[in-house]
Amino acid sequence: MDFKLKKRARQDVKVEVISLEEKYPQNVMLYHYPPTEDIHIDEFEELALERLKLLRIFEMANSKSLRVLSDDWKEYVNAELTREGLRGYLRMCTHSSSNNTKLETDLQMRRRDYLSHFILRLAYCRSDELMRWLLTREMELFKYKFSALSVAEIKQFLEKNSFHIHPLTEAQKDEVKDGLYESTAGHSVAKIELLEFYKVPFTEVLDLVRGRRCYLKGGFAYVSTHDLVSIVGTRHADEIERGLQATKTFISEVEADERISRMLKSLHSSYTGKDYTVSRDASVPIESLDQLSKTSMPLCMRMCHEHIRHEHHIKHGGRMQYGLFLKGIGVTLEDSLRFWRAEFTKKIDVDKYTRAYEYNIMHNYGKKGSMVNYSPYSCMKIIKDMAGPGDCHGCPYRSFDAPTLKTKLAGYGLSQGAIDEVLFFVTRGHFQLACSKYFTITHNTTAEPTITHPNGYFEESQIVMGSRQKHTPGPAKQQNKNNRSAIVGGANRSMINGNDDDELWRIAETQERVYQSQKGIEDAFDDDLDLTEIAD
Amino acid sequence: MPEQETTQETTPNEQKVSTYDPAILPDMLPVYYRRLFPHEPFYRWLSYGNVDKQIFFNREISYTLHDDIYIRYQSYDTQAEFEKDICVRNPFKIDIGPVMSSRPRNMRAVPTSLVPIQRELVFDIDATDYDDIRNCCSGAGICIKCWKFMVLAVRVLDAALREDFGFEHIFWVFSGRRGVHGWVCDYTARTLDARARGAVAEYLNITSYSNNTAKVNIGDKPHHSVKRALKLVEPMFEEIILEDQNLFGTPKGVGKLLALISDESARHEMDAYLKKSHEDGAHSKLIWESFVRFANSMRTSAANVWSRKLKHIVEEVQLCLLYPRLDIHVTKGFNHLLKAPFCIHPATGKVCVPFSANAVAKFDPTTVPNITQLLQEINAYDDKTKSYIEKPEDKSRIKDHKKTSMFKGVVVFEEFLRKLERTFKTESMEF
Repeated sequence: MDFKLKKRARQDVKVEVISLEEKYPQNVMLYHYPPTEDIHIDEFEELALERLKLLRIFEMANSKSLRVLSDDWKEYVNAELTREGLRGYLRMCTHSSSNNTKLETDLQMRRRDYLSHFILRLAYCRSDELMRWLLTREMELFKYKFSALSVAEIKQFLEKNSFHIHPLTEAQKDEVKDGLYESTAGHSVAKIELLEFYKVPFTEVLDLVRGRRCYLKGGFAYVSTHDLVSIVGTRHADEIERGLQATKTFISEVEADERISRMLKSLHSSYTGKDYTVSRDASVPIESLDQLSKTSMPLCMRMCHEHIRHEHHIKHGGRMQYGLFLKGIGVTLEDSLRFWRAEFTKKIDVDKYTRAYEYNIMHNYGKKGSMVNYSPYSCMKIIKDMAGPGDCHGCPYRSFDAPTLKTKLAGYGLSQGAIDEVLFFVTRGHFQLACSKYFTITHNTTAEPTITHPNGYFEESQIVMGSRQKHTPGPAKQQNKNNRSAIVGGANRSMINGNDDDELWRIAETQERVYQSQKGIEDAFDDDLDLTEIAD
Repeated sequence: MPEQETTQETTPNEQKVSTYDPAILPDMLPVYYRRLFPHEPFYRWLSYGNVDKQIFFNREISYTLHDDIYIRYQSYDTQAEFEKDICVRNPFKIDIGPVMSSRPRNMRAVPTSLVPIQRELVFDIDATDYDDIRNCCSGAGICIKCWKFMVLAVRVLDAALREDFGFEHIFWVFSGRRGVHGWVCDYTARTLDARARGAVAEYLNITSYSNNTAKVNIGDKPHHSVKRALKLVEPMFEEIILEDQNLFGTPKGVGKLLALISDESARHEMDAYLKKSHEDGAHSKLIWESFVRFANSMRTSAANVWSRKLKHIVEEVQLCLLYPRLDIHVTKGFNHLLKAPFCIHPATGKVCVPFSANAVAKFDPTTVPNITQLLQEINAYDDKTKSYIEKPEDKSRIKDHKKTSMFKGVVVFEEFLRKLERTFKTESMEF
């Protein structure tokens, strides 16, 4: 990618208009060739922030457990797009462009879309976790844009991007019609008769296979025009993934330009959520866990704690979820080892414990194996985790059925009315809201925290109960916050605290540590270190 | 192969199982690996026709030795080397890992380049996952009654893998105690990436767990794979659930049945109906008949929750109890290790024998030969013919495993190999 960021007059952009139509023929593009034009640094930044805002909206929709492209999802996303002033993208996702391809605004929008994607690649190629986040969000955007295309446009798109797939002939379709009627999800038999079908290897439509949403025979999937998005999407995802890998190899070159590296980094710190890899607060003595589990742990962790106290054993998924959480709230490795050993050895002998389980705990703390200091799981991850038989991890609001949950909550002393309030959110699939309801009830407060991370829950709880000071706000934090809101333009704060940005924070923090060590020992103890200072 | 068939007839058809003592396993293993373990077919399998030599070279083999000593990242260049190492180590368990991008044993020299590039698509079903609905055994135990759960699991999976995914080269192995492993060895299966494995695993896994109860939700119309599973499950439901297990024969059992109705008011209706119609402890068959009758009448009488959300409840209950309960992590993982066929299970002494999916119902886990019995069988054979004592070096005349009751397992495996190797022949002719 050629990023010559020489100062250029803005009108240059206008000159390009001539070729725009050819360059960006459709709303949906595969982002195959990196852009080569010159842009102004301000525009560079503006484009990046705009796209980030857009992707954040998808992330929020996801955290509300709305199914992508469902009506609720569309309604939410459209409203947010309007509120955030992203009308250009809204138009792109909802309007078929066949009649007005020549509209100047549309062409400009496509250009913004194209360029901003490549800019974000630069910012998100740093770690696997960031890449995954970007890929997931980009795929949601892609699907939304693709869903607005008309049949003719899809045909045009396939031709332009050399997808060589041809619909089945009537005779071929007739042969498999029973299977199609039975197994094509979401369409009536009458509709299926009218639709065109395509036969592709099942590996090209994995998402349909996963959900049992198409007919499968002899290793081939039969998909309708409506599901072509799956085929194209798989290719699109591959393309972005390869692109990110490639970006990773030359990112250091791009960052040699200080204006860019500064911008990319401030992009990080301005949108960062919080990571709980290393607890920055005082350590939590292991003896207090029983008490804490009742007062300050969210339900998911309380389940794990009770499970291990009761069963003296906990399966791998639970060990990961609960073990990392404990690390995050400030339980030291030594205490952890003591705790797990004491519990496990009630059922198995010490030898077996040491062999089979101790490694796991050391591993969590980054002392064994790949030596990675793992981040505690966020709500998103916990909610997505499917628990199997005998497991106790996962989000209880999601995995328990209503009666069990009711009994559980009643057992914890919640009144019938309170339980109903919690279940109101559960039945609508808003598990995090249910969790935050549970928080307000058990803490007897009116402030409703936004729960995106169990460790965040714990911290909030400690603050409400006055056991901990709010984490060293100081002037630095304050400034940081102002900085944030300046950039997002007063956007919903909960939006900023996206839990997937843990990684970003970790990076920022690593830099912080490096910086500290450079500044000398006396400064290293200064907790109020200004993060923005480092980012700059 | 006429030579083989004649030997099969002369093999003593012993059904009695000799008692096995885990304490002397270390003494028996050397003889087993030297004389009985089918090294040659085993190598033929893992080398996949030797079309690409790297496939065998870069395959990770792991061992569990005496006292739980675990050795990973072993790999070999030749069959002789492989065989020799097994006979030296006499492992309690052999695990097979993926084919890596470079030789696993050079792992420490070039650690970064060790990534899995090929691996059979594998399945693991364990009878303990059925513990909540097994009244005959629990935990490690297995009897001919609980084997029926495995029978259905194998049939449903085998059909789906062959019909839906077009895989042909599949073999199933008794895991030595209470479960079953499936290996899909087609080229496309071996080269699926992690995402594809995940998709296949979830496609085949219709059971979800909430709060330790299995749940199945068919949705609006059943997918053809679910319909096919139902066709296999339905005819055996009465035999397994109602007669063998008599699952709803106690109030607790009825509770389990009721728990499968997701709608609360509907559950109360059903509960009241069953209480009214039957005494506590009525036979499962009667309870189930009433259950079906009530569900059907509710469903057809008016538009209500029974005709919408619960319209497939009868089918859902059947699937929920009998659809294969997979450990999907094993299938999803690209580099998940899985125990090799023909290992000896250290706790039971039984051989992990392959069996054919068509004959799964005839397979009896309780009569699978254990190592003590096998060694007795060769000894008996040797005594009779004196061949081993006279000409101990002449091993090629009759393979030792053909003298014993693990013969059938080897034949199944060789049959699988013959079909697999035919594909390499046609391939090499095409090129």
